[in-house]
Amino acid sequence: MYFLFYFTLSGIFLGAIYSIIALGIVIIYKSTKVFNFAQGHLLMVAVLLGASTAHKLGIIGGMIFSVAATAFIALLLERLTLRPLIGQPLIAALLMTIALGYLLEGGALMVWGEGLYRYPELFPSEAISIGSIMIEQHVVWAFIVVAVCFTAFVLFYQKAVLGKAMRATAEDHQVSQSMGIRVTHIFSISWVIAAILAYGASVFLGSLSGGHYLNSHLGLKAIPAVLVGGLDSITGAIVGGFIVGLLESLVTGYLSAELGEVVPFIVLLIVLLIKPYGLFGLVRIERI
Amino acid sequence: MTRPAGVFDVRYEQDVAILRTIPQWITLALFLVFLAIVPQLFPSRFLLNVINMILIMIIAMHGLNILTGYAGQISVGHAAFMGVGAYACASFMTIWGLNFFISLPLAALTAGLVGILFGLPSLRLKGFYLAMATIAAQFIITAFFLHFRPDLFRGAAGMSIEPVRLGSIVFDTQEKLYYLIMPIAAVMTYFGQNLVRSRLGRAFVAIRDNDLAAEIMGISLFGYKLRAFFIGCFFAGTAGALNIAFRWTVRPDQYSLMDSIWMLGIIIIGGMGSILGGILGTVFIKVLDELVSALTPFLGRVLPPELASRIGASTGLVLFGLVVVLFLILEPRGLAHRWEILKGRFRHWPFTYGH
Repeated sequence: MYFLFYFTLSGIFLGAIYSIIALGIVIIYKSTKVFNFAQGHLLMVAVLLGASTAHKLGIIGGMIFSVAATAFIALLLERLTLRPLIGQPLIAALLMTIALGYLLEGGALMVWGEGLYRYPELFPSEAISIGSIMIEQHVVWAFIVVAVCFTAFVLFYQKAVLGKAMRATAEDHQVSQSMGIRVTHIFSISWVIAAILAYGASVFLGSLSGGHYLNSHLGLKAIPAVLVGGLDSITGAIVGGFIVGLLESLVTGYLSAELGEVVPFIVLLIVLLIKPYGLFGLVRIERI
Repeated sequence: MTRPAGVFDVRYEQDVAILRTIPQWITLALFLVFLAIVPQLFPSRFLLNVINMILIMIIAMHGLNILTGYAGQISVGHAAFMGVGAYACASFMTIWGLNFFISLPLAALTAGLVGILFGLPSLRLKGFYLAMATIAAQFIITAFFLHFRPDLFRGAAGMSIEPVRLGSIVFDTQEKLYYLIMPIAAVMTYFGQNLVRSRLGRAFVAIRDNDLAAEIMGISLFGYKLRAFFIGCFFAGTAGALNIAFRWTVRPDQYSLMDSIWMLGIIIIGGMGSILGGILGTVFIKVLDELVSALTPFLGRVLPPELASRIGASTGLVLFGLVVVLFLILEPRGLAHRWEILKGRFRHWPFTYGH
């Protein structure tokens, strides 16, 4: 019983990280129709930035600097590499974000080397006890952040003018352009939002395992999370993230660590075969 | 297709012919002679090693080019299918004790069948979603070899075989391996180039360009997509089987997601939907790769060791990323297109029109 509880908790924590990464991917996909494979790499850059600047600029200063730097990198990537690809076939954008991922990984290796950077301790280490159950604080915080993100984005897309503009852009670039929406601005804004989300996930990843240039491989696990939930659904990203995180943690705990690595992809294949647009994705009917 | 002035087509066969002038036949003959004497021209073991690797890679690239470049089914799991070929070949040789020359076609066939299995989602998925399904295939296949039946596949340590032998000939030097790999690569290139000009190849191109229109024209989408997967993975399996003859061992980490992505990068650099592009891209990337490896010891002498090791480790990643990014922005049609432009320039010189 204790083990079940423990694995569920670590699954929820992992799931929260996946959810935030997946949310970033979904937000970029919704407005630009580009699947950002480099989201995990943005996360890795954010962790390393956070870990290496905290003791120079203080915790708050480091946070502000890391968010700004990550957002700037994302802005630069969008403007310089993805903007010229508008109108190119799918595989071009697909390979572009993968290649950007390699660039970021190589760049991080060049700047930070292979060392493991300790992340500043943002969460108190005492666990919260509810009755006889002990829950570590970072798990609670991760859950709160995901809940806040979810509510914020649902409200943002429903109520805010910018959110509506982003939804319109997702629907049709040309029509929204002719309605007076600056589509290119929307692209930049969605990349910046994704970068900020990547930083959000990096805080939890950092407190879990510290900063290392291979952290980016976590982004790979977000792929099943995004697709299981549905590529263009915010609810889907959150639910998919938790499904993948819980499955991975429980399978790792009860069966084997190797299987835990593969299970998300097996689930992905099954979901793709049964519901190609994911659990919450918008179904586009195409008869081929 | 551009051609020298004064060459006219009267019949369809002439229009689709690859070689149409006597100088082209002579060039081909000279090139074949050159291929046959490569080991005498470059006796260095290192160079031959690189050339063999390039030749094996070229076979796999033809497969991916037919599957992704011609039929438009993006596969991000091509290295895994190559791995299936390698593991199948190793299993046929060590477990059943078959000769390499029998296991090679069997392994290619196995890879093709596994390709059909993972191509089944193409019935319902297309474009991006299919690419994701092939990523899943990549992970599932490598995990299968890593964890299934450790007594057979030997987990992370991988399987190993004896040097390939035919009668009394043992293929254990780079030179002998070259004469094993080169003819197969040449035949596969010939096969690939002809395949894409055939009815099958035209059906692939039709599906890539507009699947709905293709279906209305009477092309069975499902049948042809599966055929594309079979042929693409057949090529990959052949390359994988040759790879094990070349390396004598096969491990799951030789066929990782990274390798699959490299392959996609190579066809972007070489040119999608061009058999020549697959060759040019492979040569370009492998030469770049070797240059980077040659650069690392040099850096170690000029720079402080810590910095040198960092730069050495990251140059490959950065350079590959940069090359793909630049090709995608500046020349999305790849080296093959540049080659056509270059030929056109020579043909029209000193006039500037035409290209």
